[in-house]
Amino acid sequence: MTTATHRFSITSLPPAVKAVTLPILLILAWQAWTLTLPENSPAPAPAKVVASFLALTASGDLIWSTLQSLGRVIAGFAIAMVCGISLGVLMGSSKAVRENLDPIVESFRPIAPMAILPIAILWFGTGTPAALTIVAYAAFFPLLVNTVYGVSRVDRQLVRAAQTMGIGRLRTVLAVIVPAAVPSVLLGSRLAMGVAWTAIIAAELAVGAKSGSGGSGGIGNMMFIFYAYSVDLNGIVVCMIVVGVIALLIDRLFRAAETRLLPWRT
Amino acid sequence: MVSLMETRSAKELSEIPVDPSAVRRPARATMSPGQLAGRFWRARWFVVLRAFAVFIALWWGVSAWVSSPIQMPTPAKVFDAFLGLASSGELFQHIWISTQRLLVALVVATTIAVPLGFFMALNREANAFIDPLVELLRPISGIAWIPLGLFIFGVGGTLPVFIMAYVAFFPLLLNTVDGVKGIDRKLLAAAETMGVSRRARLTHIAVPAALPSVMVGFRIAFASAWAAIIAAELIGSPSGLGFAIEWYRQLLMSPKVFAFIMTIGAVGYLCDLGLRALQRKLTPWAEGTGIGQ
Amino acid sequence: MTVATMPTSQKPKLRLQNVTKEFVAKRTGQKTLAVSDFSLDVRPGEFLCVVGPSGCGKSTVLNMIAGLDQPTEGSIVMDGQLVTRPGAERGVMFQDYALFPWKSVRDNVGFGLKHGTPGNGLSPVERRERVDHFVKMVGLEAAATKYPHQLSGGMRQRVALARLLANGPEVLLMDEPLGALDAQTRMVLQVELLRIWGEAADHGERKTVVFITHGIDEAVFLADRVVVMSSHPGRVSAVIDIDIPRPRTEHIRSEPRFGQLTDEIWSLIRDEAYQAIA
Repeated sequence: MTTATHRFSITSLPPAVKAVTLPILLILAWQAWTLTLPENSPAPAPAKVVASFLALTASGDLIWSTLQSLGRVIAGFAIAMVCGISLGVLMGSSKAVRENLDPIVESFRPIAPMAILPIAILWFGTGTPAALTIVAYAAFFPLLVNTVYGVSRVDRQLVRAAQTMGIGRLRTVLAVIVPAAVPSVLLGSRLAMGVAWTAIIAAELAVGAKSGSGGSGGIGNMMFIFYAYSVDLNGIVVCMIVVGVIALLIDRLFRAAETRLLPWRT
Repeated sequence: MVSLMETRSAKELSEIPVDPSAVRRPARATMSPGQLAGRFWRARWFVVLRAFAVFIALWWGVSAWVSSPIQMPTPAKVFDAFLGLASSGELFQHIWISTQRLLVALVVATTIAVPLGFFMALNREANAFIDPLVELLRPISGIAWIPLGLFIFGVGGTLPVFIMAYVAFFPLLLNTVDGVKGIDRKLLAAAETMGVSRRARLTHIAVPAALPSVMVGFRIAFASAWAAIIAAELIGSPSGLGFAIEWYRQLLMSPKVFAFIMTIGAVGYLCDLGLRALQRKLTPWAEGTGIGQ
Repeated sequence: MTVATMPTSQKPKLRLQNVTKEFVAKRTGQKTLAVSDFSLDVRPGEFLCVVGPSGCGKSTVLNMIAGLDQPTEGSIVMDGQLVTRPGAERGVMFQDYALFPWKSVRDNVGFGLKHGTPGNGLSPVERRERVDHFVKMVGLEAAATKYPHQLSGGMRQRVALARLLANGPEVLLMDEPLGALDAQTRMVLQVELLRIWGEAADHGERKTVVFITHGIDEAVFLADRVVVMSSHPGRVSAVIDIDIPRPRTEHIRSEPRFGQLTDEIWSLIRDEAYQAIA
């Protein structure tokens, strides 16, 4: 105990090593656990997950499914953006509109996107339009609410300052209110894209669950087929990881856009 | 409705800043009939009532225009179905099952996440090891766990509880960590100069200081869990509100589907109302109790 | 009612006659009398300071001159024209500066020239020159591309001043423009403000300034005349001539006359100030 400097200490490890320690230990434990199971056990194992990932990537199935889901998310998001932002600007800039629509919006907000699924299936069947409805519904509220917030919370002093410079009404909207609301709208877009991605997985999963193998594709549907037909748990884990990675990428992309587009923010 | 990606910062969360027309001042005795009518026309309850009346009228119009009772039942049919479900007790049965699961999941998530959050926030070393794992798991939405969960737990009541607890875990953990880390160091220093013990500093300073943030995390956790339960029950449970909407959809009994969907919204709304009240009660000193502020 | 009468034959730049402002709360219908029967003439080229206890309606008066608020009764006339709405000939410097956070220093200074009436008839080159001129005048060339959040309080104040001047207003309306600054910065900027206003120049070239402050010594240092307001409702309680010669420098703060005037004004609002705290 005389020289503490030579003693190994956990705290002296570099941060990167600390960061990967627990995940690696967990994966090793998981692998070790699967080695104790009988050969034909369906339990997923890290090594098998990697093999499954490679096979699914090589066959193009994984990439195709992911693209299919992403395409739906983007389409649904676009619909939500058009509706959410335009209604948001309207509600944000007119107190009368806001007060009258608020009760309706607030009543729909606690209804989970997945609760709309049965209605969507009743209306559109089990194809892509039903999935799009869920995605658009899910993405609509963060976009709407943040646009309303952004527009209605524009610093009133800035509007008044513009007036004292002889700036007209339309010009004030374009030069003051719109730029002031952009950060909120971008934030709403990021949140909306996040929930939209979750919603598409849920929708594809559920549509797959309710329509059998004749589902409409996408990564959620792929997971369901692995669950219900081919009983491939390794494939399911691959899909889960892909879902997580895409979610992370979406989030990073939107955050990067925010810093890029809003250099004037702290 | 709240994204998992967004649990990091409560400030960024979306919510309309509700203005409950905060201060009520006594009205002046002298008011012309016109002013009185104007006040009535602007009164909050009247605006809400009017909005719903217009909404139901529109709904009625659309259902008449669509004239397909399966795709668009009339409000009257839905109301009938609602009464039927309520009087048979089926409605409350499903509400009870779902809220029970919700409660169990929230209790499980809270008992794990809040102590862990305190531990991570107060122990920098532990944080360096645990935080990366959390960040690795967080992007994987609860929904994506459903197929694997079905394998592990089978169709039944455990799956929804697991999914909800998973979903509720992250906002609770991250908001607890944020809350504890955000404690004003000067308060701790002030307590030290007054000779307050380490233990008392934890219970009388750290805990109350972190509580507002934990409460915000709890509300987000509830909202996420409530959204997730519908998916989990719809796919992997033989009971609960999420199951009910899909069950009646398959039977093409649309009025009951609509009635249950409205129930999901109403229960979610009432729970959030209750949580807000709890928040005000527990942390009356916190500024901006809204999630969005 | 004290009416500031014209000692000379010149026409007033601004004439406020029996201006009264009553606010009505929308939901409750409750009325608050903010300003009552306020009459005042502002001479061309004078530096007029308005002091009074907080909540006495100083800002309301300024907003009405700016045209941002309309008086309930009475009238505000500028050069014989009734003031009914905001216009670039009456520039306002707001209490918290109201800088556009998404615009750089340069673009803030040029905002009115780009989007508003002050830029009418100016070529892009002329606008750029004008922006350069005022950015330089307040000494912010080095920070010209920075955003407001990157600036100190004193620098933001300069940006607001440059923006105000760039729009070429005839009357400068300033609502506690130095209120948010620390004491040293404030003293430095007071001197600078007088320089930019054109203290050394001919009287005819100076702009008319209505300057609101709660600092009595600030008012005495800056003003030609000080209007003292009393509150509940806001009204003119006295108008004091500041007979300290210009140009004024730091050392006048230690002169006996400076102290006398400060005391005189303080004695007028002391009672109300104490009441406000109690």
